[in-house]
Order: sequence, then structure tokens, then C-alpha cells
Amino acid sequence: MIRHRRRTPRPLVGLAAALALAGTLAACGSGGGGGGAAPGTTLTMWTFKQSHLSALQNAARTFQDKTGVAVNVEAVTPDSTFLARVQAAANTGDLPDVLETHTNGDDFTFGGAGLLEDLSDDVPADWTANYRPAVAGEGTVTEQYYQQSLASGSKTAGVEQGQRFSVPLTIGTFGIVYANRERLAEAGITEAPKTWEDFVAALDAVKRARPQDGGLSLGLQSPSTGLEWVMQPMAYGMLGKQPFEALFSNDPAVNWASPNGTRVLQAYGQITPYWMPGTQTLDIDSADIAFAQGRSSFLVGGTFTLAFLAQNGFDLNNLVTFPIPAPSGGAVSDLSLAPFALTGLSVSATTEHKDAALQWLRHLADPGVATQFARDALDVPPTELGNDAGTVLGPVLGTMVASLGEGETAYNPGYTAYRPGAYDSGRVGEVLMNYTPLQQRDAEGAGHDLADLLGSYWSEER
Amino acid sequence: MTAASSEAVAGAVSPLGRAGRGPHFRRREKAWGYAFVAPALLLFAVMGVYTIAYGFTLSFARWNGFSPRWIWVGLENYIDLLGGSPVYGPPVRAAALNTLWVMIAVPLLTVAVSFPLAVILNSVTRLRTVLRSVYFIPYVTNGIAIYFAWQYIYEPNGAINGVLGALGLGSLQQPQGFLGNPATALPALIVVMVWTAVPVAMLLYLAGLQAIDPALLEAAKIDGAGWWRTNRSVVWPLLTGTTAIVVLLNLRDALQGFQVFLIATNGGPGDATNVLGLETYRLAFLSELAPTLGLASALGWMLFLVALVIALVNQRMLRRLR
Repeated sequence: MIRHRRRTPRPLVGLAAALALAGTLAACGSGGGGGGAAPGTTLTMWTFKQSHLSALQNAARTFQDKTGVAVNVEAVTPDSTFLARVQAAANTGDLPDVLETHTNGDDFTFGGAGLLEDLSDDVPADWTANYRPAVAGEGTVTEQYYQQSLASGSKTAGVEQGQRFSVPLTIGTFGIVYANRERLAEAGITEAPKTWEDFVAALDAVKRARPQDGGLSLGLQSPSTGLEWVMQPMAYGMLGKQPFEALFSNDPAVNWASPNGTRVLQAYGQITPYWMPGTQTLDIDSADIAFAQGRSSFLVGGTFTLAFLAQNGFDLNNLVTFPIPAPSGGAVSDLSLAPFALTGLSVSATTEHKDAALQWLRHLADPGVATQFARDALDVPPTELGNDAGTVLGPVLGTMVASLGEGETAYNPGYTAYRPGAYDSGRVGEVLMNYTPLQQRDAEGAGHDLADLLGSYWSEER
Repeated sequence: MTAASSEAVAGAVSPLGRAGRGPHFRRREKAWGYAFVAPALLLFAVMGVYTIAYGFTLSFARWNGFSPRWIWVGLENYIDLLGGSPVYGPPVRAAALNTLWVMIAVPLLTVAVSFPLAVILNSVTRLRTVLRSVYFIPYVTNGIAIYFAWQYIYEPNGAINGVLGALGLGSLQQPQGFLGNPATALPALIVVMVWTAVPVAMLLYLAGLQAIDPALLEAAKIDGAGWWRTNRSVVWPLLTGTTAIVVLLNLRDALQGFQVFLIATNGGPGDATNVLGLETYRLAFLSELAPTLGLASALGWMLFLVALVIALVNQRMLRRLR
């Protein structure tokens, strides 16, 4: 091999150099940040969501018809593989032109590391006017995110206030309960539960009617799901905004070790008998599949779960969906879930086709394209849908979107500024799991464990 | 030999022999030698020395894998892992305890299963090859497939609960599955590790058994020793060296291996099956983009040190046995 390489005839070396030079010149000619996107340019894009792949490819076809610019979309899944590939590509200079990222998460980490273009000067107001006002600015480093980035061990070190590293592609929320309509009816339940107590009663009724498969599945192998998807929305409804956020503070009078914390945990513990057996061993996809296959009758997920259930053959007409409800007599009686940008579109700092990439991002922000993307991906677009979300997105997704709210009565899982910078939801979720479903701690003990762990994060931050 | 005869001999071999090879020839020969060795050296320099040095340096830094610069923290990563940090210390302590259990149980159980199995297989005369192949299957089967298969066996509606129910041993059933109960999850995974470790151990014992002089066994028989006494007092002591190797190999796997824990439980439920190898992996790749690659590297080097100590102790033991 080595000898062969060393003896490469000179004409071949010359040819290779000529081809490389030609490629470089072609790349310079077709991109160049300065002018408009040249027809014939090909963009590359990575997404970490398989369910977005064909929807993006469909959008890419309309984009090519309009501009002559092709987009090669590639799905890199699961998330851990996506991150590893971005890391490798960043080191070898092989990043794609466009990446789909977790909004206010990966985008800030990548942006802080200098892997992404700062889009703050490239996204004008008439572009963001397409988005719902609540999410139009997401992907931008606000003062709170900037302050978090300054903490020791921060995941977003290096970002500057006002920088923008992504524009929204999908929005949604966590804490949506998916229930099997037929099984609810079989247990005599015809309406979606309105309170936490109703929800527990529904779990009880279905479990009694179907002891084998009447339970609630949740991917507790990722322990943060129990914490963030079930308990936190309920706790917000029970306590209201300020006391809820205080649970994560370092003050024992109001944090998890306080009577408020114990009250929340006791209410959360009411679902202990209704977990699907072995749900603590399932990852998120496996829990969704268990529901789709009928091994459980309830599932908690997010707006994004619907597409996965459809992919796995669940009849969407057999679904009842509702947000995790507040306990009766709670501080927020009409609890709803606020949408936030789940995923966004970012432009890599090494792209040679910045103009074309920006055009592609703007194309996806067009209300018509975004709606079609949402239909294809069974996901929620960030654009305004008006009052006919049901017509645009179909009955199930439309109902879900219609139930989303805004303001003080809406719990926003995307807002996390009240937590310490070093917070690791997986570790916190593990401690909570010791309470339910594992039943190794009682509510009070679990509250103290949570307070101790959060205390360690606060001390680390100092 | 006289000087004249020496010259005669030298002269006789001069056209092709050493005396005819001038400095130019030797230089060329040397160059060819270096050229042949160079790829391997280069590969080792890149894949070995460079990565080892890189990893070691990283253990003194804070980095998330994406930012262009490392933040030097000195020995802070090591101190944090050894208890200096209330965030990183406790999970490492819990993982170390689990690892200790695995390091005790896996080698002991592997020896306890593989030695008798090898003795029995060694005495079987019919279908010996088929049986040996069958017992070797766990080793040659893809690890991931094995772990998934065991997951199905352990789940609430899995084979073990089914068999226990059928035998009327319902009280031993695990309603949450054997991997869903923190009390049974770690032992269940230890069983999987032993199951995959037994084939190689058995093969080593079989090789050892066949190297034993039959006259010794004959003598024991003549002295009136039965099957049990022969194996306990003659065969087992003769195979102490093999046992030491089996124990060392399994100690190393128990200390550093984490695939089964990652795939079957991801360290759960809670942190019941988190081990140091998995904790290293989590810090490196599952920390939600936190800058913990340096911590992962430091933990990796601490594991390496423990492995080194184990190897040295084992080497000394083997030397003493000889």
C-alpha cells in the first residue's frame, strides 16, 4: 500500500491536484456569503429526528423548484450519535451547511463553541413575523441565558447576549397524556380528566378493568421523564409559578424539603400503583411502543410523541389526549401547557453557502411550507395557524395545539432559568425514581434527597 | 582457525556474503527495514501514543467536546471524583460500590461454573466436540443480541417469571421484572456477565486439563481417590495458574466493561446498576453537553491505575505459584 502510494505516477498527482483545485473553485463560485444563492448549489443538512426526514425532503423539493438550490437532508439518530457526529465533524471541518438543533440547548452549546453562524443580523423582523409571538425570539441568547452561561461548568459557555443561533422549526411541549380511547370507554370514562384526581381515578378504573395492560407507560430509563413530563406540570398547577420555582431553590423553607415539596410528592405518588410493570426499564421509544402495541393504556409524552405513535401503527382515532391536569383546589385551576420551540434550524459557521442556507431557513418559515411540513411530520409548526389548527393539522394534533396556552396559568417546560446552571435533570430524576415507582423512599425522604442534590448544584455554581 | 584460512573462508563467500556488503548496501537494507516498520510505528504513534497522551492531558482540563479551547483545572477533576464535588462524588461512590460487587461476584462465579463444566466435558467421550461448541456459543454470539435476549428473559412477562409461575414459585416472581427491581437488577446483570465469561474460562480449563500428566491421575486412582477427591486434591491445585488467569481476565472485564449495563438498564433503575465504566461513559457522552469530558478522562485513568495494580498483584501471585 505504502509503496504503491509513494510511487504514484506524477501525471496522476497532477490530475488529482487539478481536480481538487477545480472543486475548490466551484465551491467558491457557488457560495460566497456575499451574493444570492446560485442555482445549482447543493446544501447539506443533518436532522436528529427520523420523523422529520421525509417532511424536510418534501420541503426541499419545493425549495429546489423555487430557487434551483438542492438540499440533501440526512437523519443522524439517535441524539447521542448526532452529537458525536457533530463533534467529529467540527474537528475535521466537515459540518453540514444546516443543522436541526434543540432550541436553547444544542444551538447555544454549538454557538458558544463557534460552530454556528450568529444569525442575529440575518433574521429581520418580517421573517420572525411569521412565527407565533411566544416563540419568535427563541434561539436568541437572552440575558438570563447569558448569565447561566457564565456559571462554572455551564453547558453554554462562550455565548454573548443578543446572539441568535437558530430559528424555530418545531414547537410543542411535554406533559401530554395519551390514553387509549377504547379502553377508557371500557372502564366507563368518556371524557378527558380535568383534574389530577380525575386522572388518578381514570388510571384506577382502567387498571381495574384491565389488570394486565391497563397501566401507564413512561420511558423511565431516562429518569427525567417522570420529573419533567409528569410531576413538574402537576406541581406548577398545585402551587403556582413562584412557589413552584422555589422548590428548586436552596432555601429549605420553600424547596423540596419543605411542606410544599412533600405535598407535591405525595400527590405525585398517587400514581405509583398504576405504572405499567417494568416501565422503569424502558427507554422513551420503548415506552411509546409499549403503548402503541397495547401493553399499556396510558402514556405521557410530548406533542412530538404523536408522530412516533403513528409511525408505529397506532390508530390515531383511538386516542384521547390531554395535558397533565392540576389537582383540584390547586393554585392554577385552569392549568395549560405553554408551547416552546423544541427544535430549530442553525447555519454552520463553516458553510460556504450562507446565503442559500438562509434562504432555505426562510423557506421553511413560510406559513404554507411550515404547515405542509407539520402535516408531513405530524409535528407542530412555529408559525401562526389561526383558529383552524384542527383543519390544518388534523383532529388529534389540532386538539393538542388548541389546548396549549400562554401566560401565568400555562406551565412552560422550556423555561428553566430558576434552576442552577449545573443542574442535571437525569440525576434529579433518578432520586425521584427512588420514591416512585421504586418505593425505596417516602415522600418526605425523597424531598430531602432532592433538596440535598439541588443544594450540591447550587454550591457547585458558587 | 588461522588468519590465512579465515581469509580463505571470507574470500569464498565474498560475492554474495557479508564481506561483500558495503556501507551503501547496509544503509539501504536499514532503510528498507525502517520503511517496513514505519507504518506500524506511525499507526501506534497516532492510535496509541497520541490518544493516550491526549486523554491524559484532557484529564486535567474542562471541555465539552465542542468549544475550541480547554480550560485547565489541574487536579480538580481527580479531586471532584474522589469526593471533592458534591455533584460528581456521590454517583462515583455509588458506582464504585456496584463495581466492587461485580468484581467479586463475576470472577468467583465464573470459576465456580467453568471449572466443573470443563472437568465434566473433559470426561465426556461421546459428542465431546458438539458439546464444547454448544458451550462456546455465548462467547461467539454478538454481545448486543445477547443483552437484548436477556432483557426479554428478565422482563415482567419474561421467561423466568413464566417458569417460576409454572413451578408454583410465584413468591419468587418479580412483578416489575428482574431488571426493574433495584434489589435484583445488579445480580441479574452479573448472571449475564458470568454467562458470557464462562466459555473462555472453560476453554482455558480444558486446555489445562489436557496438559495434566495422566500418570498423576492414575496414581491418585491407585491410592484410592475417588472422582471428587481427585479433582479437589489433584486437578484443582494443578490448575491454579489457569484459575489466576481466569480471575484476572474477569476482574479486568468487571472493572472496565459496561456494555451490558448500558444496553440492558443504562445504570438503572435509579442508579442500582451504575458501574464505574458506565459512569465514565455517561460523563463523556451522556451529560447533556456539560463540560465533563475531562472528568470522564480522569475517571478512566483512575480505572487504569486500579487495573494496573490488579495486574501487578496477579503477576506476583503467579510468580509465587511457580
